[in-house]
Amino acid sequence: MTLFEAMSDGIRDSKDHLGRTMLQLVGIILGAGSIVATFSLSVAGKAASMEYYRVSGGIQKIFIWNHPTGKVTLDAKALASKGLTFRDVKAIQRNARQIDLVSPMASETMTVRYREIEKPRDVMGIVPAYSPMNDVHAAHGRFITDSDVQTAARVVVFGSERAAEFFSTDDPVGKTVTINGTGYQVVGVMEEKYFSFDHKRNVLRWMNRQIYIPITTYFTRKGDSLERGKVNMINARMIDIKNHEDAVDQIRKVLYREHGTKDFQVMSRIANLKRNEQNNRMYDMTFMICGVISLIVGGIVVMNIQLASFNERVREVGTRKAVGASSAQIFGQFLAESILVSVFGGFLGLFVGKLFTEAIASLTRDPAMVTPDTIVKALIFAAGTGLVFGMYPAIRASRLNPIEALRTE
Amino acid sequence: MSAVAYMEPIVETAKALIQLDEVTKTYDAGESAVQALRGIDVAIQQGEFVAIIGPSGSGKSTLMHIIGCLDSPSEGKYWLDGEDVATLSARALARIRNQKIGFVFQTFNLLPRATILKNVELPLLYAGLPRAERRERAMAVLERVGLGNRSKARPNELSGGQRQRVAIARALVNNPSLVLADEPTGNLDQKTGAEIIDIFEDLAGEETIVLVTHDPAIASRTGRRIKIVDGQIVNGDTE
Repeated sequence: MTLFEAMSDGIRDSKDHLGRTMLQLVGIILGAGSIVATFSLSVAGKAASMEYYRVSGGIQKIFIWNHPTGKVTLDAKALASKGLTFRDVKAIQRNARQIDLVSPMASETMTVRYREIEKPRDVMGIVPAYSPMNDVHAAHGRFITDSDVQTAARVVVFGSERAAEFFSTDDPVGKTVTINGTGYQVVGVMEEKYFSFDHKRNVLRWMNRQIYIPITTYFTRKGDSLERGKVNMINARMIDIKNHEDAVDQIRKVLYREHGTKDFQVMSRIANLKRNEQNNRMYDMTFMICGVISLIVGGIVVMNIQLASFNERVREVGTRKAVGASSAQIFGQFLAESILVSVFGGFLGLFVGKLFTEAIASLTRDPAMVTPDTIVKALIFAAGTGLVFGMYPAIRASRLNPIEALRTE
Repeated sequence: MSAVAYMEPIVETAKALIQLDEVTKTYDAGESAVQALRGIDVAIQQGEFVAIIGPSGSGKSTLMHIIGCLDSPSEGKYWLDGEDVATLSARALARIRNQKIGFVFQTFNLLPRATILKNVELPLLYAGLPRAERRERAMAVLERVGLGNRSKARPNELSGGQRQRVAIARALVNNPSLVLADEPTGNLDQKTGAEIIDIFEDLAGEETIVLVTHDPAIASRTGRRIKIVDGQIVNGDTE
């Protein structure tokens, strides 16, 4: 008897006992459903993170922050350290070979005025590298240029939200604004950046709410020297993520030489990503185990119901054996039935899993997507359950003595 | 010629379709062993219509199981169609049942959820025949028992007599060497039962039929009766 024929027998049997079959399937449906939900959430979570990284400068990005040391005993050089400065930026550019782009940021709240609108707003001193570093570009006019930085030009570029706030429908380019009482010419407006994990909160909104001036201008207006001008944060970009540990190390060494103390913190996205991947694997495992447990429970139900329906089928098995079915054929038929029922359950589980996924996604505001890969996995798990838990009833059926089976009333 | 005497090897041959030599069957029931068959010698020729009769507990069911290859003798030889089947494995016995024996049971034993056609096809399914051939042969044999027009019905839509005719069709579909009927009229009224025996009578000569019954009226319609009492054949009608 071919597998297909065993299957069609199984289908007929399951169809004729639809109520029983459905009951049998609850566990499998829920099990397959939770596996679908697990993978959908985890796959979508990873995809969303990767997309976020992509639109905000890529995984080659490195973050350097001030991190005051808690040490009491500091030598003179360490005491003299003022934290991250523009000098550090130059040092990194010069000495860290794995780094191809460095973008310092110095920011402070200043009084910004255009005509009758005057508001305290964050103003950020930056260099042209800021644009490629954060993958944000001028939508109108231009961004800050090298020549703006060299000449400490009094030019300003508005983030999209700030432009709308101060200029409403006017074209800001060419207009003059005053920042802390000094006049600046608006040379550009940035594009609007948007990324959301939950379709609600724009995690890149901070970029739209910036007002950019050349970092040299920023220091000059504050009365700081270019060398000693303090920066809040430095972004760097590594050339090759394969050497991400080297890249971070190089920066650490350069900064340690400059500062004489470890009053900074360096973090790379790629290292973070790898750490997260490990955490995610833990989460995935936990969820998977839950799904597998549901499947096991479902499998036990399948087995139980197979065994419960066993007695009424003993005679049938006897008849089949009398007309020449071998034990192997009976075994195959029963096993095929279990697998078929389980795969059918797994199939229904896909829809339940989709509902689970959507419910969880809307509660936690996490992204979710059901991929073909996930569907295949859930069906394989369901089939495996049928295989494992169909084994015992199939063995019992195959071992029935035909004489006794035929005698059964 | 030298003085060496050649010992002729004893070749055990069977001329009859069914030949049982000194067959015994002992059931090991714990302390006490029950001897269900005590030395049965039977030969049944191709085309015979034979009844095995005897009171319940006489061992006739056990004999039928052995003849039907559902069970093996404890001792003795059994040749079916020239093949020694006494010592075959369960798997080999399943193949013999599939290819050489057609069963008709007292309780019909049709698969309740399958159509008549599927029921008749069942032995061919296990023989591994392709679908088209199965269908063709099953339809032909259904025509032969007069149920060609009911092939799509389910067993519960048929009368008892019709169900037994389906069972006969199923028994014939694999062109068996032997049709083995166990109390085939036991669940039928007298008239319907007689009609079933009519079918067997028509088949006799063409098919070899062994019918197990305790009903003397039914047995009297067969060509030969083998009477079993206490695990032994008691009439001299054994050839």
